[in-house]
Amino acid sequence: MAKALRTEALLDFLRAVQQDARRLVAPVEEDGLRLFRAVDRVEEITLAEGNTRWSFKEVLFPRSEALFHYRLSGGSVALQEPDQPEGETVVFGARPCDAAGLAVLDAVFAPNGRPDPDQAPEHEDPFYRRRRAQTTIIGLACLEPGPACFCTAVGLSPTGTAGSDLLLTPLPDQGVFLAEAVTEKGERLLAAHAHLFTDTDDTKEQATRAAEGRIQRTALSGVGGPLATLFEAPPWEELAARCLGCGACAFVCPTCHCFDIVDEGNAAGGSRCKFWDSCGFALFTAHTSGHNPRATQPARFRQRVLHKFRYLPERFGVQGCVGCGRCIATCPVNMDIQEVVAKVTG
Amino acid sequence: MANVYLPYLMTVAAVRDETPDVRTLRLEFQDESIREGFRFRAGQFGLYSVFGQGECVFCIASPDTRPGAIECSFSYRWGGKVTSALSRLTVGDTMGFRGPYGNWFPLDAMRGKNLVFIGGGIGMAPIRSIFETALDQRAEFGDILLLNGARSVSDLVYKAETEAWIARDDITCVKTVDPGGETPEWDGKVGLIPKVLEELAPSATNALALVCGPPIMIKFALESLAKLGFGKEQIYTTLENRMKCGSGQCGRGNIGGCYVCKDGPVFSAAELEQLPPEF
Repeated sequence: MAKALRTEALLDFLRAVQQDARRLVAPVEEDGLRLFRAVDRVEEITLAEGNTRWSFKEVLFPRSEALFHYRLSGGSVALQEPDQPEGETVVFGARPCDAAGLAVLDAVFAPNGRPDPDQAPEHEDPFYRRRRAQTTIIGLACLEPGPACFCTAVGLSPTGTAGSDLLLTPLPDQGVFLAEAVTEKGERLLAAHAHLFTDTDDTKEQATRAAEGRIQRTALSGVGGPLATLFEAPPWEELAARCLGCGACAFVCPTCHCFDIVDEGNAAGGSRCKFWDSCGFALFTAHTSGHNPRATQPARFRQRVLHKFRYLPERFGVQGCVGCGRCIATCPVNMDIQEVVAKVTG
Repeated sequence: MANVYLPYLMTVAAVRDETPDVRTLRLEFQDESIREGFRFRAGQFGLYSVFGQGECVFCIASPDTRPGAIECSFSYRWGGKVTSALSRLTVGDTMGFRGPYGNWFPLDAMRGKNLVFIGGGIGMAPIRSIFETALDQRAEFGDILLLNGARSVSDLVYKAETEAWIARDDITCVKTVDPGGETPEWDGKVGLIPKVLEELAPSATNALALVCGPPIMIKFALESLAKLGFGKEQIYTTLENRMKCGSGQCGRGNIGGCYVCKDGPVFSAAELEQLPPEF
């Protein structure tokens, strides 16, 4: 049977959750933007509808992080592991689209599954894996998707559970959040705070129908057909003619995961760091010799679209786009990936 | 959990100039247990780093039959940040290496076969690794032909080793330079690699060809091999891409849906044909 949490008991629940974890990350208002931040007081959390500026991706995959530190003295080099990551973290307020995006990050950074962080085989990202094991996701279903949202077009739902450990769906008429435990972590969370939850016969069916009805964009499937044709046939020059290569779409995307590795430091020492990067940047694939396999912006935009809609499904069985609409809302020249894919597949 | 980004500390044991802008470093593992335990397969690559400057990717240029140290050969012609820093290292300096990554040349499929090795310019680096690996197990293979070519005499890499290979009577080694690249003292061939290859006309029967070099050379060498009767499954080459992680995560290494760092760097000509034109 589903569980219900009274609307006015939400902050009590979050306060209790915060006491158990080392860190609670949730949407707050900051400088006019809605951002995920570690919160001190649960009263700071905003429950406003719509998406935050960025997804909570950076809780697991920070914009920059030290892979190790190095110290140089004379001819000798000493390496030092970075500090352990932040510890037990609960993310509250993850939208179903952003939570679903974890499937992509998991597939790329932790391809061998989640269970045991100490048994990771080679070639997994140890930092991601450790954070992932220590993070619990409390999803918050959308009742009012925004104008750029198209999660239903990529097979997701504003009330979908994928990626969440526990999903809360607001049912304002009943004055409750419907609580669904999706994973064992979610079950544990419910059990630990059982006194706040009651059994209920309510369902989210009506809320789901209403929210999905607000999304007007057409359905997209994976980008099929022979790759050779896809490379040449769609008018990539035309589709990408406006693209400035600014990379904003990648930075706001909940699934984009490309990164750069750079040494930051001085003559005495420093850190080798991993930074977010974007396939839209001209230098992303440029060889030192000057040769660039993706020499033009249309070639780079094609990579972005095909990576999400072709290569990720083909290689990992995951869809690279969750329909959050952030790239559409953020693009300074109004590029629209949903329209592009509709054209490419159409 | 192991930090895959933490490189092994290496001591530069030897520095050798191959050409005015290509250098070979011999690198020894500082940690004794790693020195003894480290294994790779010819064709695999690694990320080489100078602390404070960053990492860059090359193949391992030494054979996989001689553990304990590795060699890399790199060009610093274009003044890249890390390659320039690597070119300033001297014997005794400490640098970093992590790897090995990627797949390798099909050594098992090569056993019992006649082998044709073709290297153009710095493309000789991966060829040298698999060629010397084969030489170290000479009895396992049929006829061996190596063609080492460069634009000019001064650009020919592994000059001293090439002379030693030419002197051997259990293999055939031919050196060539592009027309105009010869000197009065030059005692090798003068001609582009594909042309010299067709003159040498190795038989395609029970043979495999391994060819590495600049894209334009690969293109015409593949055509010449086809003329000689080599099927696409009988030809192997290596590709390279800019890479950061070396293991399919950073997003640079793919050509279409194929990851050079995971599915490569070694590809058969048949596999190459399936890739979209993005390399």
